[in-house]
Amino acid sequence: MTTAQTSDSVQGGMAAGDRRRYAFAFVGRYGTLLGMVLMIAVFSIAAPDAFPTLSNATNILNQASLTAIIAGGLTVALIVGEMDLSIGYVASFSGVLVTGFMVDQGVPWPLAILTVLVIGASIGAVSGLVITKLRVNSVIATLGVGTVVVGINYAYAGGVPVASGVPKAFLDIALGRWVVGIPNNIIFMFVTLALVWVLINRTDLGQRIQAVGGNPEAARLSGIRVDRIKILALVVTGISSAITGILLASLIGSGTTSAADGYLLMSFAGCYLGSATLRDGEFHIVGTFIGVLIVAIGFNGLAILGAPTFWQYVFQGAILILAVGLSTVARRFSKA
Amino acid sequence: MIDSVSGPIPTVGRDGATREPGGGGPAPLLQVRGLSKRFGGVRALKGVDLDILAGEVHGLVGANGAGKSTLIRLLAGVYRPDAGSIVVDGEPVTIVDPQHASGIGLNFIHQELNLVPKFNAIENMTLGLPKASRLGLITWGPIRRQADEVARRLGADFPLDIPVEDLSVANQWLISIGRALIRKARLIAMDEPTASLSAEEAGRLFQIIRELGSDGIAILYVSHRLDEIMDLCDRVTVFKDGVRVLHADRAAMTKGGLVRAIVGSDVAPASWAGAPDQGSPVVLETRHLGRGSVVRDVSLQLHAGEVLGLAGLVGAGRSELARLIFGADRADTGTILLDGAPWRPAGPHDAFARGIGFIPEERRSQGLILQKDVSFNINLADLQPLRYAPAIPLISLSRAARRAKEIAQELQIKAPRVTTPVIELSGGNQQKVVIGKWLTRHPRVLILDEPSRGVDVGARAEIHRSIKELAAGGVGAIVISSEVEELPGLCDRVLVMVEGRVAGELTGREITKEAILQLSYAHGQGASTES
Repeated sequence: MTTAQTSDSVQGGMAAGDRRRYAFAFVGRYGTLLGMVLMIAVFSIAAPDAFPTLSNATNILNQASLTAIIAGGLTVALIVGEMDLSIGYVASFSGVLVTGFMVDQGVPWPLAILTVLVIGASIGAVSGLVITKLRVNSVIATLGVGTVVVGINYAYAGGVPVASGVPKAFLDIALGRWVVGIPNNIIFMFVTLALVWVLINRTDLGQRIQAVGGNPEAARLSGIRVDRIKILALVVTGISSAITGILLASLIGSGTTSAADGYLLMSFAGCYLGSATLRDGEFHIVGTFIGVLIVAIGFNGLAILGAPTFWQYVFQGAILILAVGLSTVARRFSKA
Repeated sequence: MIDSVSGPIPTVGRDGATREPGGGGPAPLLQVRGLSKRFGGVRALKGVDLDILAGEVHGLVGANGAGKSTLIRLLAGVYRPDAGSIVVDGEPVTIVDPQHASGIGLNFIHQELNLVPKFNAIENMTLGLPKASRLGLITWGPIRRQADEVARRLGADFPLDIPVEDLSVANQWLISIGRALIRKARLIAMDEPTASLSAEEAGRLFQIIRELGSDGIAILYVSHRLDEIMDLCDRVTVFKDGVRVLHADRAAMTKGGLVRAIVGSDVAPASWAGAPDQGSPVVLETRHLGRGSVVRDVSLQLHAGEVLGLAGLVGAGRSELARLIFGADRADTGTILLDGAPWRPAGPHDAFARGIGFIPEERRSQGLILQKDVSFNINLADLQPLRYAPAIPLISLSRAARRAKEIAQELQIKAPRVTTPVIELSGGNQQKVVIGKWLTRHPRVLILDEPSRGVDVGARAEIHRSIKELAAGGVGAIVISSEVEELPGLCDRVLVMVEGRVAGELTGREITKEAILQLSYAHGQGASTES
């Protein structure tokens, strides 16, 4: 009954309108990948000695790694249907806290990391509570929570970087190469993304997160506690922000007040580019990874070609607009 | 499916007389010839013909997926046909968009009405029309007069200047018709107009439709309710699998003939199964349950294995009562007893955890995650058993697919695969997915709100069979339906609600359409919607 029903009518000529729709759908799904290939080709021709090398590839992945981790968490919030604009601030705060705990409070580094992860999770929980219990729009809620976090950040460190006296063991986390020649951050990126992928696609929590994002009312009437799921999703986002902040602090060897703020835009660009990749405007982890990679390749290529700094901003802004635009178009054509 | 792929289209009215409009009679307002439309691999319309005369009420029926909506969207300019022609007043036209369709007199009222909730009746009726203005400000005087005239023509007795969201669905329908009239409509297509109307309101609508007909306006009346079609329509066209399978004049119309054409075979009328087992334990009981003025002092008992119908006019408080039981709303007064123990639901998740299932009225917006596939939706309500081991939160997708397949088979869900997104299924199959979601839970109580609304005859019979099978397995089922034909034959017992109260109870053979209607109307006129 379930198989034979509709297979008889699939073959046959295709009408012009359909062909156009398929063309759009194809561009929607694979356009970003084509764009990535194109970028790689252009940069390879323009800088044949510097760009297409193994060491530069490692370099790109390394540069992408922290963005990918925070974007992986952001993807969870976006799947559940909420924005999180606090991620950059939470990451910066986490970097300041983790170094501060070690340097000023003398907390052993593993405990410092654990504490900061818990704090990151708690900030996500607070955002989730504001969104679900006070019914504040998530853009406003996370902007507010993020700004408060900036305030606490200043209150804690006075805006001065925590630099000297960071234990070497902590620095080794991001700078080390525990697996033959591969920078640790790349490993962390793949591990985090794999974990988030499993969470979303292979756990009951993940099914619920997808259900809530797809149709909150249907999810509620299916017995799912929508508020709780949303809060948990934002907790995941908070934890991933904290991970990025900690790894950044380890990488640069200090906790700097606004060091990670810039990850906000890059991860949004990555997530939205990803939502238009392989799927019709639906957020997913593999897409997010590809999206983040595209952004990283762009930055890397521009830097190798010696483009002035302002171009990097233009690129960043343009790619964000392009990403959201593509995602929206993909969604529209999937419905048409 | 196989036999209907191509070939000549049988279009003869069953009296044998092919009625060829234009051959002597009045020229048809609308002539559709050989219209075809394909979506991806699905041929939604396979060369259909249709004539609509000025002033006639033309019924269009067919199972879900038969091509009715596609035809309407082609006429409305939402899609372009792949082949075939549309002729209006003898002029071939290519309808480019809904604006254009409206410009040549074709207007469409969809089930969901497309009104702006915060706008009043006048603003909604004139939405999108060029408006006279002075110094950039709209001069409402002439518009208001125009709207008043249309309202009078429709016998609208509600204020035109309050937001339409505060009006009943019936009045919103009048506004939608008014919107078409202000645009000088010559054909108004109506999709399931009575789906949300009470019998009384529907009667009022029919009268308006007949009056429009005598003014020369043609109505294309799309409905699953064959009694209405028989009652109202001058001619009827039946689609099946994208082909016109029947085209009959009023004289040639029989309900049995229509059903045969729609289904392609006879559907045995459901008959009452037997005496309800009143000896079985009461699973759910309410005592003096109330909320505001919508649910008042409702006391009922639901036995295990029983199908209990909740009948009444729209606005009688049936869905509201269901929401109280499912914990979606809180009761002001009274108590709920589950297995004899008092219980105050903390929310849907609480009702859910105690084995109460709820199949909401709006399956697309409340019952399904449309973009997700059949397996995802079916398994959503019960994910725990999909884990590899109880303590490991990882779920097995193959286990999910296996369970979804079992349930799809049991409910005869027609989907290519369990990985097909439910948005691609027909309404009847979507509803079966919603029911299937609860089968995984083995609920003790299942509340079904309008389970077969907008579903074709065949799927309805299958849904009814599923409900009965569930009951036979010990589930206490509550079925809410606005279609009085639906409850006899399905229910062991029916409670008729009027204005939030239980006005009467019918058991077994007492359950008839007439008895339900009598009880519904027993308590005076104001029983319908205005809240």
